[in-house]
Amino acid sequence: MKDLRNTIGLTLRWGVLTACAIALVGGAAYLLHHGSEPAPDYSVFRGINPEYTTLTGIFGGFFNFSPYGLIQAGVIALLLTPIMRVVFSLIDFVGQHDWLYSAITSAVLAIIFVNSVASPV
Amino acid sequence: MKQNARPNPGRAAVFVLLATALPDAARTFAPLMTVLTFTLILLLGAYLAGLLGSLTGLGGGVIVIPLLTLCLGVDFQYAVGAALVASIATSSGSGSAYVREGMTNIRLGMFLEIATCIGAAIGAFVAAYLNNNVIAVIFGLTLILTAVNQLRRKADHGAVQGSEAARRLKLFGSYPLKDGTQQPYELTNVAGGFSLMTVAGALSGILGIGSGVLKVLAMDTLMKVPFKVSTTTSNFMMGVTAVTSAVVYLQRGNIEPGIAFPILVGVLAGALTGARLLKTLDVRLLRRIFSVAILLVAANMIWNGVAGKF
Repeated sequence: MKDLRNTIGLTLRWGVLTACAIALVGGAAYLLHHGSEPAPDYSVFRGINPEYTTLTGIFGGFFNFSPYGLIQAGVIALLLTPIMRVVFSLIDFVGQHDWLYSAITSAVLAIIFVNSVASPV
Repeated sequence: MKQNARPNPGRAAVFVLLATALPDAARTFAPLMTVLTFTLILLLGAYLAGLLGSLTGLGGGVIVIPLLTLCLGVDFQYAVGAALVASIATSSGSGSAYVREGMTNIRLGMFLEIATCIGAAIGAFVAAYLNNNVIAVIFGLTLILTAVNQLRRKADHGAVQGSEAARRLKLFGSYPLKDGTQQPYELTNVAGGFSLMTVAGALSGILGIGSGVLKVLAMDTLMKVPFKVSTTTSNFMMGVTAVTSAVVYLQRGNIEPGIAFPILVGVLAGALTGARLLKTLDVRLLRRIFSVAILLVAANMIWNGVAGKF
């Protein structure tokens, strides 16, 4: 249990710091390119550029070093942090032959996965 | 940093003043800003949100939503996306310390995450059909519940006779006391806790906040989990719950990079500062002031929601 706690603690810390670092780079690029423009009108929801709502679009933007792509990649890293925490817990429960909790942890992963793929947008 | 060493009523007062500005006023001023000014204001606001969120144990999302909607005139749809980012950042940022200290009940968290994730999926689905004003009123009501819960007297449960279901699910645990010894505990009413957790998850899916109040009510009041364990486990669960709805919001286009970047960086920095300060300072006064501030924001949200201003 102590090992699991350390693994989870480290996953959370490094995940969130990675996300923050990527978002900072993207944010700096964003401010360099658009900093002096008037602030966009966020008072009515229009949805963001659909390019940055899919994994392919975000990673395309990430490798093109586009500010939006970088920031969204940081958001993806942030979203992956708790998910990785669940994955590492699953590995640990399987290693402990704790089948009850392996099943419970798998169920959590399955709900997240099905919901992200099958969500009617 | 020295100034932070004691509870600062001034900061709470400023926050209240900002929050009572009507969204109409914000919409008048927002277009006058450049991207840089807007980003800097958000960074500062997000830092304070992360700091206050971790000192009061409420998470960053609760403050990010009124900051964006009331103070900056941002549409609720973007605000909820930003609140999800804030919730995951707070949960992961402060969670790592609690987990390593051994305060968090990992099995209990895992088990109840099934409920909160199902709830979050439902909440994110339902939110697509809700009007902004309805979301504002739901948010206001949740804030009232939160403030009442903050002011409530916390008594630790005596020796709790654990239930058979909880025993089978291996949910009993122990937590470290100040002198280094372990305090074992049992818990009860698994079905009741699980049901209320589904509601907490749904609320989190609609509002983007951690809905810690319902989680703590479920664990503390229904399941009789010791208070420290229920607050840290609630924080631990917040990240996974928020991710479940965040994947939907991301695909819907609610997570705007121009807002997400300052929120992510600011809230995380604030939460890390807060976690460090929490070890040294007495936050009881701050929590009490903050509860009153929350009530004022809640009244403002409900008022504007009923008036149809969002």
